[in-house]
Amino acid sequence: MNAINLKINKEHYDVLVKPHWSLAYVIREKVGLTGTKTGCEMGTCGSCTLLLDGKPVFSCLRMAIDAQGCDIRTIEGVEEENNGELHPLQEAFVQDHGMQCGFCTPGMIIAAKHLLEHNPDPTEQEVREAIGGHLCRCGTYIRIVRSILNAAAVMRAGS
Amino acid sequence: MEYYSPTDLNEAYALLDKYGEDAIPIAGSTFYMGHREELFDEVEAVINIKQLGLSYIRQDGDGLHIGATTTLNEIFAHGLTRKGPFGILATTVQELNINEVRNMATIGGEVCIAGEVDMPTTLLAYDADIVIGGSKGVRRMSMADFHIGYLNNALEPGEMVLEVQLPQPPANTGGGFAKFERTAADLPIVNVATRISLDDAGVCTDARVVAGAATLSGIPERSGAAEAALLNQVIDAALIEAAAAASADVACINDFRVSAEIRSLWVKCGIEDALKRAFAAARQGEQS
Repeated sequence: MNAINLKINKEHYDVLVKPHWSLAYVIREKVGLTGTKTGCEMGTCGSCTLLLDGKPVFSCLRMAIDAQGCDIRTIEGVEEENNGELHPLQEAFVQDHGMQCGFCTPGMIIAAKHLLEHNPDPTEQEVREAIGGHLCRCGTYIRIVRSILNAAAVMRAGS
Repeated sequence: MEYYSPTDLNEAYALLDKYGEDAIPIAGSTFYMGHREELFDEVEAVINIKQLGLSYIRQDGDGLHIGATTTLNEIFAHGLTRKGPFGILATTVQELNINEVRNMATIGGEVCIAGEVDMPTTLLAYDADIVIGGSKGVRRMSMADFHIGYLNNALEPGEMVLEVQLPQPPANTGGGFAKFERTAADLPIVNVATRISLDDAGVCTDARVVAGAATLSGIPERSGAAEAALLNQVIDAALIEAAAAASADVACINDFRVSAEIRSLWVKCGIEDALKRAFAAARQGEQS
């Protein structure tokens, strides 16, 4: 076992890990932050997406031991960053029913948040490309895209 | 299983020598982690090579140099690979529509996998060389020689890929890339890359037509017949169609994903599409 320290949503966590343990597994099972979902665990579904040093990555394809020293942001941090209030993206997903079972939602919101931080006024095509690696098993894509576009409009109006 | 994160090349080489075939150098870790269950019993040492200063893109008199641990999104965003003579690299990255994987996967990993990935197809069309390092020294190998077979490359135990080099293409050269896949997250069923060079009179002086992911050999292959059809000819739509039809000399694999017949058809369609793009770009002196 290797002792490592992970910085997740500005908090530091000491954990013991094996080299092949994925970041997704460690965050869920050892740190206890279960907002990040694990679906396929082989990089095809997108539900484990989180921000690593500001970039969206699949945490199931990242070794936890290789995430030391990185700034990790999960879905739990999205609300914390927004002073405990729901982020406009989360509000939009609620308002526009951008989910059915909700399993893909954390990954979708992380990917969308990264998009809107870099492109506040995306086209529908750009939104679809940003969630290109994310599967929604309920097939709610149309409402997800609508939620992200509406959140973008709300965020532009508020800034 | 041991984990190492060496900070200089000699340290990395010593570890590779120590563990031999039981070591796996990783950077983006997308392939290793995606196959960790299968690889678990085979790997004794995971060697993270991200701290070795191998993330760079630079150009000199020899052409373009891309460090092994440069990520696909770094290639997509970089001025030298986003447009101009090497813009085909960004076009190739763009066809992998998973931002999260593009943030992790590296060009070194893409060339080492020798499986259904896109970059080696483009690199073969651009006559790329692979720079290989080990404790016994540094050697170069062409992309064509580097892949031996499906999931099999020419690295010896103790060696790793340091850099990918692309020679500077002549003026009036254009490239094209095309791909078929089921969804954005799927592996390619067919990918093709083309490169055309024209002289001032519009005659084709050099051509590369490459198909990957679909081949019976499991590695990207050039279509000699398609290239021969283009060489020394004035290119037009009919010639592009004839060259695409000639690509039937590439034997395609028949597997549970798609039949060989459909793959051959898609190789032909993809090559026609990629040749049109390459031709248009060559006439404008730019890649697309």
